[in-house]
Amino acid sequence: MSARQAIQLNNVTKKFKKTTVIDEMNLQINEGEFLVLLGPSGCGKSTMLRLIAGLEKANSGEILINGQDIKQDSYFANNFAMVFQDYALYPNMTVYQNLEYALKVHKVPKRERQTRLNKVLNMLNLTAYQDRLPGQLSGGQKQRVALGRGMVKKSNIFLLDEPLSNIDVQLREKARDEIKSMHDTSHQTIVYVTHDQLEAMSLGDRIAIMNNGVIQMIDTPNNIYNNPINLFVAEFVGVPQINTLTGEIIDGQVYFAGYSLIADYSRLNKLGLISGNIYIGIRPENIHVSEQPQNAASIPVIVDKIVDYGRYQELMLIIANGQLIKATTTNNQFVIEDNVYATLVDKKILLFNQQTKQNIEYSLEN
Amino acid sequence: MPKSKISAWHLLLMLLSLMLLLPVVFMISNSFKTLQDSYHSMLQIMPSRITLVNYQTLAKQVHLLTIIWNTFFMATLVTLGKIITGLLSAYAFKYFSFTGKKWLYLIFVSTIFVPFTVVMIPNYLVISKINLLNTAFGVALPQLADATGIMLFLSAMDKIPVSLTETLQVDRIPAHKALRDVIMPIIRPSIISIGAIFFINSWNEYVWPTLILKDKNSFTLPLALQNYISNEGGTNFPLAMALSTITIMVPLLIYLVFQRYILNSISSSGLK
Repeated sequence: MSARQAIQLNNVTKKFKKTTVIDEMNLQINEGEFLVLLGPSGCGKSTMLRLIAGLEKANSGEILINGQDIKQDSYFANNFAMVFQDYALYPNMTVYQNLEYALKVHKVPKRERQTRLNKVLNMLNLTAYQDRLPGQLSGGQKQRVALGRGMVKKSNIFLLDEPLSNIDVQLREKARDEIKSMHDTSHQTIVYVTHDQLEAMSLGDRIAIMNNGVIQMIDTPNNIYNNPINLFVAEFVGVPQINTLTGEIIDGQVYFAGYSLIADYSRLNKLGLISGNIYIGIRPENIHVSEQPQNAASIPVIVDKIVDYGRYQELMLIIANGQLIKATTTNNQFVIEDNVYATLVDKKILLFNQQTKQNIEYSLEN
Repeated sequence: MPKSKISAWHLLLMLLSLMLLLPVVFMISNSFKTLQDSYHSMLQIMPSRITLVNYQTLAKQVHLLTIIWNTFFMATLVTLGKIITGLLSAYAFKYFSFTGKKWLYLIFVSTIFVPFTVVMIPNYLVISKINLLNTAFGVALPQLADATGIMLFLSAMDKIPVSLTETLQVDRIPAHKALRDVIMPIIRPSIISIGAIFFINSWNEYVWPTLILKDKNSFTLPLALQNYISNEGGTNFPLAMALSTITIMVPLLIYLVFQRYILNSISSSGLK
């Protein structure tokens, strides 16, 4: 832990009436880090952001901002900037006034205000719109103004609550790049809430995956995708979704539909598996579909459905035991009802405990 | 809806508005008749001879300007007072949390259901004890704790997105500045329309001012009007109609002016 911590949550619990929304949360966010909170709706990610912003009070635990408990001190509060999903621009003020307002109230000298505003307006391509009212702006422009309002405050901490969800898909990528480049140039600490995994993957230094008020996993996009801590994370991240198959362990070997899937004995030995049922996770892009079996572990399947996404094709395959698996390919030559073979890339196979749903190999590698 | 049905509705509505308009037309037309003419042809809409004699008599008999000024001053005082207290308390109820808030609000709202006749006497006693009889302040004071204003302003504030007030909170904008710079401009159309309603109501108010304003020099238009239809002055009908016409002029004007303004400010508020 060399980097200074901008935000720290210690055993934070938040309840609404009797429902626990955030459960004993511990979280450290480093200074200058871009952390994305990702999770299904209702998982508590927005509540967490609101707790950090001081808009909600925790029932127990403490929240430290730059080492200061937010309950005790509020001097740092001006260093916050928050961007809401609906942008929350002041409808009665022009773009310029929107950006200027907080600075004016907090008595930043006029000259300083002008320099800061001009810089931000320039950076966000808003100079031409500075005299317009929010009602006369498009969604993307409003979003930029909301972002700019945080930027002129020179906030060390930026909190963004689904800022891109109200923008057209075409504009979203551009807006995403803008946020990214803002972070690259000014190095603020950013906490970004989203339910869009593409956004999370492309923006975050680290991603925290939340479910039911608990952070399941907090790591880099690469680790989240390739080495998920449990079945929830594995299933939540990735489109199309990961295949979850029920396998069996016999004599320390992993069997699925009668085939021994993992040839690497050293990997299996490390696990010390003996017997019992197990979940096998395999991402669709890690299943090779071929006319002829590629090795002893190739499973005969029937093509049930083909969905063409243009960039790739998704094949639904039925195995003899009735289980369904999804595979993706970029050059599909098969048609429905074809008898083919599915080969699972054995290095990419994930194994989950059937009771705890934990990734069996996760702790071994870390 | 078929066209014939729409025209049937239009016809019905036109008849209804005609019915509602009739007394007003009747009042205005009689105010331009002589006393004799009004006896002969009270129901005739166009006077056979238009005369300004009633208005001239009125101008001689009472200090018309003083009475209009009294009415205007009182209505303005009541309106401003009610807007200020209503806006501030609605703001407090909406955006601040304090102990007993729910109960306090309940008590405020329940005062709406207390009949005026119940509080009339105690209010009068208080006003007379603090020497505010015969003043507009005496009329205005008990009305400042009016719960309808709070309710109306609260419902106007309900339309402001929560994220907007939370932005103000995150930006640490002091409460009074948030109210002045953001909340009030956003609900300005509501403030104007609520204010217009308050003003018109107060302008027409009769019972409470009769208790407080005894001195003829402090009379408002409705009180002066009463003098012309009571036994005391003998009912000079056209004269009373002339004063009635003067009385409704201001509320009518306010309504016409602000109706347009209200529509304008809604469309330019940019809230949508």
